[in-house]
Amino acid sequence: MKAKKKVTIVGDIRVSAFKQTSKHKPSSTGRSGPAMPGERPRVETARAAVADLGTPSVPRPTIAEREALDRIDLSVDLAPEHGGLILANPILVASGTFGYGVEYGEVVDVQRIGAICCKGTTLRPRAGNQPPRVTETPGGMLNSIGLQNPGVDAVIEKYGPIWQGWKVPVIVNVAGESIEDYVEVARRLDGVPGVAGIELNISCPNVGKGGLQFAIDRDAARAVTAAVRRATDLPLLVKLSPNVADVRPIAKAIEEAGADAITAINTLSGLAVSPDRTRAFLGNTYGGLSGPAVKPVALRIVYEVAQVVSIPIVAIGGVTNLDDVLDFLACGAVAVQVGTAIFADPELPVRLGDELRGECLRRGLSSYGSLIGTALPKRTGAASSKGAEYRP
Amino acid sequence: MRLVAAELVETRQILPGQWLQSFHAPELASGTRAGQFVHVRTGDYSGLVLRRPFSINTADPATGIVTLHFRTVGRGTEWLTRVREGERLDMLGPLGKPFEVDPRSRHLLLIAGGLGMAGVRMLADEAIREGRQVTILFGALSADHVYPSNLLPDEVEYVVATDDGSLGHHGYVTELVQEYEAWADQAFACGPHPMLARLAQLAAGRRERMGVAKLGRKRGAGKADPMGSTSARRKAFLQVSMEQTMGCAVGACLGCTVIGVEGPLRVCREGPVFASDEIAWPNS
Repeated sequence: MKAKKKVTIVGDIRVSAFKQTSKHKPSSTGRSGPAMPGERPRVETARAAVADLGTPSVPRPTIAEREALDRIDLSVDLAPEHGGLILANPILVASGTFGYGVEYGEVVDVQRIGAICCKGTTLRPRAGNQPPRVTETPGGMLNSIGLQNPGVDAVIEKYGPIWQGWKVPVIVNVAGESIEDYVEVARRLDGVPGVAGIELNISCPNVGKGGLQFAIDRDAARAVTAAVRRATDLPLLVKLSPNVADVRPIAKAIEEAGADAITAINTLSGLAVSPDRTRAFLGNTYGGLSGPAVKPVALRIVYEVAQVVSIPIVAIGGVTNLDDVLDFLACGAVAVQVGTAIFADPELPVRLGDELRGECLRRGLSSYGSLIGTALPKRTGAASSKGAEYRP
Repeated sequence: MRLVAAELVETRQILPGQWLQSFHAPELASGTRAGQFVHVRTGDYSGLVLRRPFSINTADPATGIVTLHFRTVGRGTEWLTRVREGERLDMLGPLGKPFEVDPRSRHLLLIAGGLGMAGVRMLADEAIREGRQVTILFGALSADHVYPSNLLPDEVEYVVATDDGSLGHHGYVTELVQEYEAWADQAFACGPHPMLARLAQLAAGRRERMGVAKLGRKRGAGKADPMGSTSARRKAFLQVSMEQTMGCAVGACLGCTVIGVEGPLRVCREGPVFASDEIAWPNS
């Protein structure tokens, strides 16, 4: 290989002048293990490098490396049956954590994200739940926003034209109180320029009516998916709830009803107590748990669902770094959503895409397809039944 | 709004459990207005997944120094007190809407309860720079919780109330307000929710008590500004800085809402500063 130039990021000169002892080491992360000679272990963009506060200067990829990176194909189709929902990379941002994509515009290059799932949208405007609505818990957070949104018509009017000009696909998260609500919202979104797909939120734990009732019952899940499928040709994702005894029959029913992909998982129902211990902390009493704390649950559900359905699975739950992404891919997901971690690290979704690309380069892969499903049992039928016996 | 690497310059414990930290962050120091806040990322090791919002206590564009004043309430703030000088913290900011001072206001009344001083402290600097007179009414539990006067600009009149009477007025700070409300052209407050609710109640009845509807000016004349707009806030007598548990701090997650008279308001986007009549106060 050619000798590589050492590139220092201009913005960091001031910083390294401040730090007397900042001798930068080329391999500063513990993540990627021993690097092969002549190869850089870590590939990052300039923006990400500036934001990475622990390491004052991170080497940027050389031109040759960048060309090799550009050749790696991270694109994924989440809806091969319905005209396709092709993402440039498999890192999405989760509904409810990224607003309508415009809020983080000042600090994140949103066009480099795989896709944006917007805030849950209902037929009529909703004011949401009583505050307080969020609180931190060990390794995670509880939220009970209660689907506050201005209603589907306002969303289309206000954000449709913005989304239309974007390169990044926007998937509208749809919630409702009845099947008719879901169908009507889907119908209104159908054909709207800028709307790339629909994610059916049948699993919100924070609303009374229409929240969980569709996600915990196989027949209800089948009915709502089939009804929306008839109403629209848009790519259709359905988001599963972890708050069920066995998720597999529900996932199977959703697949049979015509969903293009499955998103797993929504938040786990939880509770926090107020500091004076006289009541529940959140205004709505219950909240949905998200963050690193739920990752093992999400992995288990993705692992189970991947063995019973053949449609793409979009994994979500506690993703904070590349290892989490690779774990979910190994359990059978084709794409991953980042949620809670965005609040601490807004640039994470973009950086994960870059890091996945770097990982493919390191392993000599031209696409990440061979990383998918590596942890699944080799004989899908028989082995999967063991999970059912094991589960509490 | 941007992501800034702020280098810790100094940590000082100024009161029991209350800390004042100085950071070198020129990008924040020059672009910040009083009332805005930063969202600080906590250390990774601790399993804390959310950033912590802090009012910007002071900002000096000349030196690039920004200070934060906070109380240790949990693991995030305790971690913050242990950060060593020279370490750099990831801050997102400046965020939120600042206080809006009417250009015609000569006399500003700042009302702070406890840690609420952090919310209004910078406004004192700004107002004095612009040649206005500032009185700070400060309420605390007892004398040893009173914000040190040497940390305030010399030009400020500083009036203290303590709940136990160990310093200054014996009682709540809200009881001092009526003495100053005729003097004040505008008032700005930050503190516990009941204090703000009481102040809002006082502000709502102020015009009748003063016996002048428009204070001899054209204030309030003509078409009313839409609620929540900058111009409406600038005309409001009382502006309050609100607090709420927060997720994203950019308006995406809708977690930090307070209930306003026209529906939920995001503290991070529409606030943290609101005109007092925008908020739906309990039993008002």
